[in-house]
Amino acid sequence: MTYKAIVCLFLEGGNDSFNMIAPRDPAGHAVYAAARGAMAVPRVDLLPIRPRAGADDRAWGFHPAATRLRDLFEAEKCAVVANVGTLLQPTTKAQYLNNAVPLPAQLFSHSDQSTLWQLPSALDNTPHGWAGRMGDAVLAMNGGSPLSPVISIVGDTRLLRGQSVAPYSMGADGSTGIDGAWGGDGARRLQTLQQIQTTTYPHVFQRHIAAVQQQALGIHTLVQAALAGAHPLNTTFPGDPLGKQLRMVARMIAARQALGVQRQIFFVRQGGYDTHASQLAFHAPLLSQLGNALAAFQGAMAELGAEELVTTCTMSEFGRTLTSNGDGTDHGWGGHQLVLGGAVRGRRFFGTMPDLQLNGPDDAGLGRIVPTTAVDQMAATLARWFGVTGTGLHTMFPRLSLFGREDLGFLRA
Amino acid sequence: MDPLRLLTQATFGPDAASLARVLQVGNAAWIDEQINKPVSLHRAAVANLGAQPENRLAIWWQRALTAADQLRQRVAFALSEIFVISDVADTLAGDVLGVTEYYDILVRGALGSYRDLIEDVTMSPIMGRYLSHLRIAKPDPIANTRPDENYAREIMQLFSIGLWQLDQDSQRTLDAAGRPIPTYRQGDILALARVFTGWNYHGALGWFDYTPNYLPMEPWEAFHDQESKVALGERFPPGQLATPELMHALDVICDHPNVGPFLGRQLIQRLVTSNPTPAYVSRIAAVWANDGTGARGNLGAVVRAILLDPEARTGHLSNPAFGKIREPLLMQSALWRAFGASTPTGVYSFSLPDYVLAQAPLRARTVFNFFRPDYAPPGAIAAAGLAAPESQIIDHSGAIKIVNRWYAVAFEQGPINVDLTLVTGLAANISSLLDYLDMALLMGSMSSALRTILTNHLSQVTSPSLRAMDAIYLVAASPEFFVQR
Repeated sequence: MTYKAIVCLFLEGGNDSFNMIAPRDPAGHAVYAAARGAMAVPRVDLLPIRPRAGADDRAWGFHPAATRLRDLFEAEKCAVVANVGTLLQPTTKAQYLNNAVPLPAQLFSHSDQSTLWQLPSALDNTPHGWAGRMGDAVLAMNGGSPLSPVISIVGDTRLLRGQSVAPYSMGADGSTGIDGAWGGDGARRLQTLQQIQTTTYPHVFQRHIAAVQQQALGIHTLVQAALAGAHPLNTTFPGDPLGKQLRMVARMIAARQALGVQRQIFFVRQGGYDTHASQLAFHAPLLSQLGNALAAFQGAMAELGAEELVTTCTMSEFGRTLTSNGDGTDHGWGGHQLVLGGAVRGRRFFGTMPDLQLNGPDDAGLGRIVPTTAVDQMAATLARWFGVTGTGLHTMFPRLSLFGREDLGFLRA
Repeated sequence: MDPLRLLTQATFGPDAASLARVLQVGNAAWIDEQINKPVSLHRAAVANLGAQPENRLAIWWQRALTAADQLRQRVAFALSEIFVISDVADTLAGDVLGVTEYYDILVRGALGSYRDLIEDVTMSPIMGRYLSHLRIAKPDPIANTRPDENYAREIMQLFSIGLWQLDQDSQRTLDAAGRPIPTYRQGDILALARVFTGWNYHGALGWFDYTPNYLPMEPWEAFHDQESKVALGERFPPGQLATPELMHALDVICDHPNVGPFLGRQLIQRLVTSNPTPAYVSRIAAVWANDGTGARGNLGAVVRAILLDPEARTGHLSNPAFGKIREPLLMQSALWRAFGASTPTGVYSFSLPDYVLAQAPLRARTVFNFFRPDYAPPGAIAAAGLAAPESQIIDHSGAIKIVNRWYAVAFEQGPINVDLTLVTGLAANISSLLDYLDMALLMGSMSSALRTILTNHLSQVTSPSLRAMDAIYLVAASPEFFVQR
């Protein structure tokens, strides 16, 4: 059995992905520019790419700040999943406008759409996210390692919760041990703390705190030793929060043997994408940081010989309106996501690029684009690669068969 | 120990003076006295110290630890977690005085009228920058622009009525098919966004003149959308100037029946318990609707009712899940207040609590605060259908960083020092020492199991000062301190 890991990277706030990748042919760009107004990236500034498939015979380009993303795409380490979003079943613009099909609750709300992106679509009341369910499915492969297969570098999140697995939350600086354990007194103090943590308390909140402390210290010993003994990374990561988070993920992957695991799912996050205002000033550096951090991460995977074993996917609660408020954009619906890694069939678009014409067939109003690929399909494609098979896949995503293509094909078997 | 419980709910932590005062005058009179205390503002003090981010936090700690108007300061902090702005955001980073003036809006308005408060919050150019309703222009068909929807959405979703229609007990109202009913639709947001057009900095010389200041925004009628609008079922007639139309919209929002249960429940959660009974929320919503004199949204009366409610006072006796996980910042303030923290320089420097305590005043990552009101961690709490919002920031890494922070408080004197004279004096007798710490930190609720463990440990520590420090550290590190019941 070979090791595999998935890294889920949440672009918090709603990435304006229609500016991350935009049409570059004159006719396509004219439609795009008319819709986007002051937010449009000039055609000459777009970084040319040469997709092998999915481009509909049009020319496309990456945002000028996304040079590293363009490089990864051109090097076939990155692919685009086009116009993905929360859907309960395939939905047309007319069906949306006439309320003719069930729709995800509270479209355009950050908190709700963030949550729905993390859950199988049929199960919008479930406490268990799709990555947590994948963790459940592959748990046996980890041979009883005390370390959870689902790990967040930025705190608990619905995505990682399963029936049998719960996320282990470590910091970008690693796991944390007890300071008071230094010296001779320290050993006894630690022992007393452990007694305090293993006492059964009457209040469910007290029991929760005791359990979290106990789990944290139990795993710390394993994680600290595994990290200390792992191959040191030569790859330099950016010092920004995303760079630090991805560096910690890379270190954990480097330590996989000592951790005794075959399957891992990591959660990281980059904030700041809610660009209602000053979008031109704020979006470019975000994409630049994203590209730099992902390029470093791919470099580290190459250094570890783990490129084929690790797949990264971006997620974001929604795309943004094609129309602008003059200074920024508002909450949309569908948007493009990136998948990266050695197992990805890179330099391709998967799914269908939307029509960016205002009031066109994909525009639900003011340039809120109706998704043409469901989150379920993207997640199920990852799950299949991860080792979740036929019926398991349909138990995990009960509505999957409604959407047509159950495997979007962006990962090699 | 009801006075200790009240002070834990209503202040930054009990100390000897506040305990004596509650014992002397009683709960209700103490609350009334607190409501009428002179207001301790922050901005002028920060300006005196120098407009640096660390000074904003130093003054915040000074107020939290020493201000006489504890209830007001405590409620202002709670409101800062509902009407969220954050200087983590690029738009506000570095504007120390503006961000502090925004906090003063919450301090001034903490126990006043909600209608006044939401107006002050809305008109603040700091909120205007954070949620981008500063300088929204009316639709421009030629440039193909339409008004920014950000504030229109979040004032409804987070600051007033929430996403779903609520009964007065804060349960979701259901339609005939048993489904919850959204409070607003995208069309309401589009209409409300047009109401918020035409506001700019006070004294701006031109629409795009960049004259940042923290005075309430001023209308620029040429940029205000005067077409008619319909939002939340209310018709806004054509030809209205920016100010009367904004006041009209705020009236409509404030009169929505959701506001009392939606915000009342959150205030209960911030002060008293994470899972109030529907009856408790109903009683608070009723006070929100009418304070007894006919006034709606009297926050002082609402806070008074929240604290004097039978559930706040005796809920722990009947409900085994009563109470809340303490916020890390409030654990820190309670520890410092319990042991008379002071600083030789007079400056309460503890400037980057984010890293060790996962939160700092007005430094949430997004407008959705450090934690969500309905957050439940995986495991027994979620399985029981309970919320434990604060646990969202006490994850595996955070839980240990907090314990390590208490180690520093007990064992390492820093810019802010605890006074261990009294505790060290008691340390010769372990039982007296634990009795004292039980009162100071645990509202007199220490379990016999914890007492036995601590007694065994402390009996092997001979130095009185080490024994005192060890005892404080271990009590603070225990799950019994992390939970306020």
